[in-house]
Amino acid sequence: MGEKMHRLGFRRVFSASKIHTGSWWLLALCLAIASGLTRNAFVLLAVIAFALAVIKFCRENAPWSRSISFYLRLGAFVIAVRLVFRLVFNFAGSAPNDVLFTLPSVSLSLGLGNQVVLFGDVSASSMLAALIDGLRLSAIIIAIGLANSLANPRKLLKSTPSALYEIATALSVAINLAPQLIASLQRVRRARGLRGGSSGLGSLRGIVIPVLEDTIEQSLQLAASMDARGFGRKGERGRGEILSARLAGFSAVALSGIGVYLLLAVTGSSALALGLLVGALGLGAFTVKLSSLRKTRSKFRRELWLPANWVIVAISAAVLGCALTGRFA
Amino acid sequence: MIKTKDLTLAYLDAESKLATENPVLSRVNVQLDAGEFVLVCGPTGSGKSSLLKALNGLVPHFTGGILTGELWLDGKDMTGSQPHDLAELVGYVNQQPEGSFVADTVIDEIAYGPEQLGIDPALIASRIDEVAERLGITNLLELPLASLSGGQQQRVAIAAALASGQKILLLDEPTSALDIVSAREVVALLRDLAHQHGMTVLLAEHRIGRVVGEVDSVLVVHGDGSVTKSAPSAAFNDDRFAPPIIELGLAMGWNPLPVAMKDAAALWAASPADFAPIVRDSKPGDVLLRATDLAVRYGATNAVLPTSLEIHSGEIVALMGENGSGKTSLLWALQGLGDVSGGVVEIKNHQSPSTWSDTKKLNNLARLAAINMVPQRAADLLFLNTVSEELAESDRFASVQEGTTGALLSAIAGRLNPSAHPRDLSAGQQLALVLAVQLAKGAQVLLLDEPTRGLDYSSKRKLAKQLQILREQGRGVLVASHDIEFVAMVADRVLVMQAGQIAESAPLEIALGCGAQLASQLAEISNAPQLITISQLVMR
Amino acid sequence: MAREFFVAKMISRLSICLAALSSVLVFCWPLFLGRANANESQVAQTVFILLMPLLLILLLVEFATGEIGSKQLAILGVLIALNAVIRLLGAGTAGIETAFFLIIIGAYVFGSSFGFILGSGSLFVSALLSGGVGPWLPFQMMAAGLVGLGAGTLWRARGRLAQIAILIAYAIVAAFFYGALMTMWNWPFLAGLGTTLSFVPGASIVSNLQRFIQYEILTGGLLWDLGRAITTSALIALTAPALLTSLRRAANRAGIARRKGE
Repeated sequence: MGEKMHRLGFRRVFSASKIHTGSWWLLALCLAIASGLTRNAFVLLAVIAFALAVIKFCRENAPWSRSISFYLRLGAFVIAVRLVFRLVFNFAGSAPNDVLFTLPSVSLSLGLGNQVVLFGDVSASSMLAALIDGLRLSAIIIAIGLANSLANPRKLLKSTPSALYEIATALSVAINLAPQLIASLQRVRRARGLRGGSSGLGSLRGIVIPVLEDTIEQSLQLAASMDARGFGRKGERGRGEILSARLAGFSAVALSGIGVYLLLAVTGSSALALGLLVGALGLGAFTVKLSSLRKTRSKFRRELWLPANWVIVAISAAVLGCALTGRFA
Repeated sequence: MIKTKDLTLAYLDAESKLATENPVLSRVNVQLDAGEFVLVCGPTGSGKSSLLKALNGLVPHFTGGILTGELWLDGKDMTGSQPHDLAELVGYVNQQPEGSFVADTVIDEIAYGPEQLGIDPALIASRIDEVAERLGITNLLELPLASLSGGQQQRVAIAAALASGQKILLLDEPTSALDIVSAREVVALLRDLAHQHGMTVLLAEHRIGRVVGEVDSVLVVHGDGSVTKSAPSAAFNDDRFAPPIIELGLAMGWNPLPVAMKDAAALWAASPADFAPIVRDSKPGDVLLRATDLAVRYGATNAVLPTSLEIHSGEIVALMGENGSGKTSLLWALQGLGDVSGGVVEIKNHQSPSTWSDTKKLNNLARLAAINMVPQRAADLLFLNTVSEELAESDRFASVQEGTTGALLSAIAGRLNPSAHPRDLSAGQQLALVLAVQLAKGAQVLLLDEPTRGLDYSSKRKLAKQLQILREQGRGVLVASHDIEFVAMVADRVLVMQAGQIAESAPLEIALGCGAQLASQLAEISNAPQLITISQLVMR
Repeated sequence: MAREFFVAKMISRLSICLAALSSVLVFCWPLFLGRANANESQVAQTVFILLMPLLLILLLVEFATGEIGSKQLAILGVLIALNAVIRLLGAGTAGIETAFFLIIIGAYVFGSSFGFILGSGSLFVSALLSGGVGPWLPFQMMAAGLVGLGAGTLWRARGRLAQIAILIAYAIVAAFFYGALMTMWNWPFLAGLGTTLSFVPGASIVSNLQRFIQYEILTGGLLWDLGRAITTSALIALTAPALLTSLRRAANRAGIARRKGE
């Protein structure tokens, strides 16, 4: 009894909505990075098992929490596609020495350079490589699935930095509006029958235009209602600030561009490229911060940062550390 | 609290880019005090909305146009301010609350305004408690907005408009989508806000019959640019937008005009007028449509229980009942495009009048030619760029001679500008256009779903005339409506739906007569059997 | 003051161009990868999956700094919602892609910044509604955003017919462009390394491009793109006359028509 109570309390502390949306995304990203960098099947399976266990343990009854089966099916699909690809578009390179079986091979030419060879010798090592690579991508997908099943997407929009406030508002307006729009599309589609006329793709005009006119009307009302409540006030922001935000943004973009080039190029160390990209990431965050300075809004009911979040952050850091130092290789 | 000096608004002409000659508002000088509850009324399109919006900067910043003159709010000159600069001072609520929500839950919606103004979160929390209590929505705070009823949503919208401590509240037709009971509650609430809490409340309305008795003063926007302020009883000398109670008072020559029901009833009791019973020029003809045991079910809910009814040639039948009683489902089922879970609808054949055909066996086109409908939002059927394109499309579709739809339209609505965009027409003109398009298909039976939504009194009278023309042509019309005064003007017979069933079928003078649940305003005032509309009065 | 704003604006333009270019590079990395080591290509893939969201956010910040007023925002919101809903209704039927015509026409009327946000936002919201959030989402958002960005720069010819012709031509190009970018993204993802259709790390751009085209053809990607091109251009032909009028009316009423030279 006591143990059960204890477990229930533990579960409540770590339930999906008690943890900050950002923490879930951090964990998901670190798991995705770890899976992306490893070729060790056990690590990959461990990542998938861990993600599933966390989802099972922490999830609550919310519409977005049921999506994990979608990610599982997608992961299985990726592995299957990888294996089928291996079988069908086999590489006719040097003969492998661990042939499992041989399919009658077909070769066809599309008039583009090399011949495409279908089927042929299937080796154990190539199938294993395909399997592990598929598993790696499934693990990335499931890691993202973890964040998506545990974090409320609306909360994520609410906690966007204020440089992206307008866009986040447009997106949450769109999410609120979608069910109403589905209803009005159905309404207009039925009304359309009363007018008579074409069906299929051609009828889309008679449906889209009235709905669009309605929604535009509605959007201007919405804008009036937002503005009348104070949306659109701007704090004083000096020219220097604007200029420096622009410059920071530019440098972040430039750094990432150079980083991408170096990462792709033969010459140059990939460590330097990665360093540049990390720099770009930092500058990007700085840009967002700079652009957020001007706003004069306050935030009612900011998402709470409970101590349990530190556990998630610690796990994420550990996973990331192991991945970057090659312990998962 | 509010003072305007020579406030003038003119929209720009699309071609010349100059201000048009007829300003919407012209040299408006009004003064309103703290704690005053003001009704803003006037015919549709007269500029009621523009006047309200001019007081919080939405005009001209959101609508275009040129605004001149001075605007003083709370003792400060606020001429030319943007809406967001006036947000602490003026709250604004528009027609459809669901269209102006930004957040997904009640509490977040109310907090939105104060957040924009950068108010401290702790203060926001106490403000929310305060307005929620004032508006009676404390128990709704954590609910999603989509789960609320129309009346509750309107209260939330008002709370959201007041959450930053505004002293002035502007409402643009806030009750137009509400049923009578919730509309009355909202009006009572607004009166309290003005009288108990000292706010200046401006309410623009066109359904003013039951509001006019509650307010302190009336601003009449005349439509020629002038705006006058007067006491409620002295405001009306214009029947374009006068409700039946005012019409009655004008007809009876009462002075001062009574604006409250009980005052009018006392005056009537003291000296009633003579009136004639409703006379009908023609008797209804043969049955055009008969439905037998028609039922509609969506999943587990029965929208319409097995129902039988007949529509005769040359009669107008009204279908009344509360929201959700199944009126709309019944209409769609009768037309044949809606869901039907049982029963048959038959129409009389045009060629051989003694035979009937089951509408289920007709294709969509043949059915539209026999029984047609104008849905609740008539504009849903309009999708082309100009009126003339719509008319041409209609002629083509109905394979009738070119110009037929246009002739129908001018017969019922006079001439419309053929190059106008259908969306720029008034609600009444859109309705007439759709009516003409549907009539061009030649249907003998016409169904209308809530056609008076968004129409003022004069447009309703026009629509009533249009329907009477159809009656004279020998068509059968079924109108679903909860607009009692409109039904009183047009219908011959009333069907009342309750919980998916026709609970009552009665002649007009019984269904809307005194003592009935749906009594018309005149029936209620006079308490005289058989008297329901002003046109029955016989003046000495 | 005017000069400093001009400088800020030029920097912002430059950042946008550079970010758009980098993002295309990030899509097409298998073509450009010079390193022959399979391990390094794996690192590159992981890094690029993380880099795309960064580029996307930087671009969105650049566009958001260009003053989104409440009216633009509200129109954006409803168009994104409409687009997401239409996309959901059209989904499931092979080759039918109903999301693009509204992005292209909307961007054409309201301009590039609006177009980028409309494109990326539509895909974001429809993914949230259908539960399709995954590592591919930032790539889809970027590709659709670029389609909108491009549509905003199209020439506004005199005469309605000419404008519609331009839009249809652009729709066909954009359908294949979007298709090619997304195939480029799933190429290393689905084919992996070492098959006859896979990219070869370190091989020349031309030979990898040939393999890419073979992959497009043999996996049916081109058919899919063709379907997208046909449905998008058909929808534009059908709806553009009315949509252009409706959106321009809205733009005029809201006072937010696309400015000259944008």
